[in-house]
Amino acid sequence: MKVKFFALLRDITGVKETTDFTGTTLVELLKELSAHYGKEMTRWLFTPTAPNQEKQIGKDVIILVNGRAIEHLAGLKTTLEEEDEVAIFPRLAGG
Amino acid sequence: MLNPEKCISCRTCELACSFKHDREFRPSAARVNVVQFEREGISVPLMCLQCETAACEKVCPTGALKRNESTGALVVDDAKCIRCKMCVQACPFGNIAYDPAKNHILRCDLCDGDPQCAKFCPSGAITYVEACTGILAKKRAYASKFKEVLQEVTE
Amino acid sequence: MYGWVGQILRVNLSDGTVKKEALDPVEIQNYIGARGLGTRLWTKECDPKMDPLSEANNLIFMTGPLTGTMATNAGRYNVICKAPLTGTMAASNAGGYWGPELKYAGYDGIVFEGQSEKQVYLWINDGEVELRCAEHLWGKDVNETTDTLREETNINARVACIGPAGENLVKYACILNDYTRAAGRSGVGAVMGSKNLKAIVVRGTGGVKVADSDAFMNALIRARKMVADHPVTGQGLPAYGTQILINILDQSGGLPVHNFRDSGTFPNADATSGETLAKTYLVRNKGCMGCNIGCGRIVNVPDGPYKSFGEGPEYEAGWSFGADCGIDDLAAIIKANNYCNELGMDPITLGSTIACAFELYEIGAITEKDAGCPMRFGDAATMVELARKTAFREGMGDDLAEGSYRMASKYGHPELSMTCKKQEMAAYDPRALQGMGLSYATNNRGGCHVRGYMTSPEILGLPEKLDNLATEGKAGWTKTFQDLTAAVDSAGICLFLTFAIGAPEISEQMIAATGIDYTVEELMKAGERIWNMERLFNITNGFTKKDDSLPPRLLKDPIKIGPCKGSVNKLDVMLPEYYELRGWDSEGRPTSEKLQELDIQ
Repeated sequence: MKVKFFALLRDITGVKETTDFTGTTLVELLKELSAHYGKEMTRWLFTPTAPNQEKQIGKDVIILVNGRAIEHLAGLKTTLEEEDEVAIFPRLAGG
Repeated sequence: MLNPEKCISCRTCELACSFKHDREFRPSAARVNVVQFEREGISVPLMCLQCETAACEKVCPTGALKRNESTGALVVDDAKCIRCKMCVQACPFGNIAYDPAKNHILRCDLCDGDPQCAKFCPSGAITYVEACTGILAKKRAYASKFKEVLQEVTE
Repeated sequence: MYGWVGQILRVNLSDGTVKKEALDPVEIQNYIGARGLGTRLWTKECDPKMDPLSEANNLIFMTGPLTGTMATNAGRYNVICKAPLTGTMAASNAGGYWGPELKYAGYDGIVFEGQSEKQVYLWINDGEVELRCAEHLWGKDVNETTDTLREETNINARVACIGPAGENLVKYACILNDYTRAAGRSGVGAVMGSKNLKAIVVRGTGGVKVADSDAFMNALIRARKMVADHPVTGQGLPAYGTQILINILDQSGGLPVHNFRDSGTFPNADATSGETLAKTYLVRNKGCMGCNIGCGRIVNVPDGPYKSFGEGPEYEAGWSFGADCGIDDLAAIIKANNYCNELGMDPITLGSTIACAFELYEIGAITEKDAGCPMRFGDAATMVELARKTAFREGMGDDLAEGSYRMASKYGHPELSMTCKKQEMAAYDPRALQGMGLSYATNNRGGCHVRGYMTSPEILGLPEKLDNLATEGKAGWTKTFQDLTAAVDSAGICLFLTFAIGAPEISEQMIAATGIDYTVEELMKAGERIWNMERLFNITNGFTKKDDSLPPRLLKDPIKIGPCKGSVNKLDVMLPEYYELRGWDSEGRPTSEKLQELDIQ
């Protein structure tokens, strides 16, 4: 699948897009990204929770799967297929 | 410490300064000014540099400028000041002014150690730091440019 | 009086007289300032049915009670008159330093009446006010005019002026102050041009007082912190400007492309993005008076055919000259945007009108003989040259200067004009953003994105995420956004801060500044009052329910590609609910109960 990064996230990843990651649900993909790109990425992707608690999406991130905001899909449980496109934005656009 | 390259030209410093001293928003009475060069897209905030050997202090005929021991700022004693405006003319940087509306000299007093211009500056163009810390930070910023050039050469 | 200075200038351009008048305390309480108060003054004195370019059209410059204070982002003023582009009320909002300077000179606003026989400018030096000859400035662009006037008057003076577009009565000419800040939409610059008024130069050495200094300081410190800490106003806008929006609109499938014909996604949108701008032509960012956001972009294209230096583009201009015209060359977009600043035109309407011309050419409605050259989507050089020609009404520029509705009608296809009430919509496709469509259709000044910014909940998820393709609840949100915006515009503060702060923080600052009890409820009611006043003007002027609409393309032709493929705007579902929530009848007319509740006479 293709993952695209925008704005400040590009400074963390150094690339605009990648096909290096897999994951059959969104939460799996985000965990992989978080592990690969480290703390700064994790801070955007997840809200801090205790280790045994369920993962929660970061409040300042916008994630689209095939152009639809995940709030209107199944959130972190959204399933992902090989041909899907995931776009990740810091929530900082305006105007 | 002034870093004009960070100035976004918002003049918040002028608003904060005039409000602190006069309880109204009146940039023309601010002790700090943003000099704007709009056609070149550059803005430079300017204020009293608190010279150690200060022309304004030397030229004052009544000794109205006194150094505040805790902040190091030269402060005008309005009771002693005779409004001759010699200090305005003596300052080589244009950082002292006379306000005809209020009939007094406008000169930065560092707000008794809590300068409002630095407090409200949104971009870090004006900061209030120990002199040596400020210079070191600036030195480091410029040195890092050398570093980049050197890295490019070695790569 | 606190917040307000308490005095306005009345300048009669026909006989050259200048009067000073006190502000009416009841009117300012009800209509706040800027957009609200200016529109109120206009409607009390002028006949709504007049020709906007006649001498009967008063041209009003008005600040708000917070303008020029240290309240969050309070650098703004409005220009009010009947709009030549739309026939609606125009209240065009600008930032910079000019509005605050007018208050420091001792005036909340200026009312211009009549029409000057000779070309003039107004010089306000605190209490001294003088009409001066402007014959030597006629034909000069905004930069030259501003430089010359500052040399003639005071190097620290602030200048609001028109460029050649305003002189040539381009229907969407703007008024620019401080070189690059524009009262941009609906053609207020053409009204200024019709009055033979080139500029208003102001130098003020006075100040603005507030009612409760300590409370005001505490309120603004809290609000400023919220603005600084919010990701949009604290990080996104300073780092990338508004052009950051292009990628998220593109990825969401809501970016209008090729005059809305091929909306859905624009290949290479990223080449024109805020991210790309920050890495290429951006010199530094810039703020208006008292701003702690700094969304302005100082840009420099150092060489090549589009060499230029200036400010911008905003997202909407980046889109209108970019994706809407099929262009992905950022330097060309910057050049066209700089022409708008220098010559004094609204880039949203201009870019969208050029895009409409491209489509008319492609279907053969405009021929090469009409245009003087081929005009195709994607041709950057032609786009830039047409932008310049429009200001001078040269060749095809004469048609473009009329806006897309009049131009498309002339060539037999009014349906290809992407306008509401003859004003061009901005960079959000109503088929992909249902609520934004309702907002455009019901906007009192026609297609415009800043009077009910539904993109915020529909795409950005602020203050909460709404499904952009759904219609449920959009009527209520649109009404709330429209009323809040009317209050914000009237207070003299910047709309962008509403990403970070809400009505409670604005209320707190308003109360401390004015000493008047502007509770959240009172502010929202004032906003609603202003909205209904504008609506009444439109109704008196012959606007009806059928004008609360969108171009047929957006209601009938589904988006062909991307995530919103298959979608049209379902305005007919949302509009009745909107009228009901507004307390209007089924034809969209405010009921007498509603007008009584709002105390509108």
